[in-house]
Amino acid sequence: MQYEPTLSRADLIDFALNKYFARVDAKDMDAVLDCFHDTALFCVQTAFTRHSGKSEIARMFEDFFASYKTIIHRDFTCTVDEANGRITACFTAELHDHEGQVTLLENTNFWRLRPGPDGAKFQEVYVYMSGANPLV
Amino acid sequence: MSESWSEGGPGQTPLPYPVYVDIVTKRYFDGVDNKHMDKVLDCFTPDAILTEVTSNTVHKGREAIRAMFVKLFSDFESIWHGNFVHTADPEANAICSQFTVLITPNGGEELRYENCNRFYLKDRLFHRVYVYMSGDNLLKEGDV
Repeated sequence: MQYEPTLSRADLIDFALNKYFARVDAKDMDAVLDCFHDTALFCVQTAFTRHSGKSEIARMFEDFFASYKTIIHRDFTCTVDEANGRITACFTAELHDHEGQVTLLENTNFWRLRPGPDGAKFQEVYVYMSGANPLV
Repeated sequence: MSESWSEGGPGQTPLPYPVYVDIVTKRYFDGVDNKHMDKVLDCFTPDAILTEVTSNTVHKGREAIRAMFVKLFSDFESIWHGNFVHTADPEANAICSQFTVLITPNGGEELRYENCNRFYLKDRLFHRVYVYMSGDNLLKEGDV
């Protein structure tokens, strides 16, 4: 294992879908950032883009939230490796910009959670996108 | 089960955890890297579908998948998959894998990709496979 597993299957799914993606869609920056360790790594592999540390991840989300009027992540299929504290999900990202244009992406995220004093959080996030990367 | 099968859906029969890692690494990618066609195709159900998501290229059925690999094996002089990290899920009968690909076109320079695959099994074989590539699609249609 890379990090000791502490969350159950149900808790891993809840963390990824409810504590993280639901708060992304709500543009709730504090709740989103609370999902990450300070030293977390966020990589968009299909664009060779890397955001290292919570401040860089916060800047990325500030720009992402500002770029789109409405952000919807939906139709999740989760794969859960409870024994290793890892979860993967494929989903549709529906992004509505301020001019009314809609971008649909069929993406896959890999999350690796590491335990800490405030509980398990994302230490590494890897995103694979079907189209152009909006997380720059 | 075939009537109600869905990707990672209910009603699957879980296999031991190592089976998922082994079919991906010791059977499938070992077969790809050594251009061992039968070993590769033995990992798929007859009506499996392999989709390259980043270019929306779909290979339907084992014969289309065979044709794709004939072209891949012919176009590239060396292929290596490694640096794997897996999300293996017996309950969902699925495994998602991240890995590095080092691949060299005939007479060309080595290319490095950072890819991922999602494998959804039906019984003990790949039934749906989704590939994401960090560069141009290498899994092009072959001649069926």
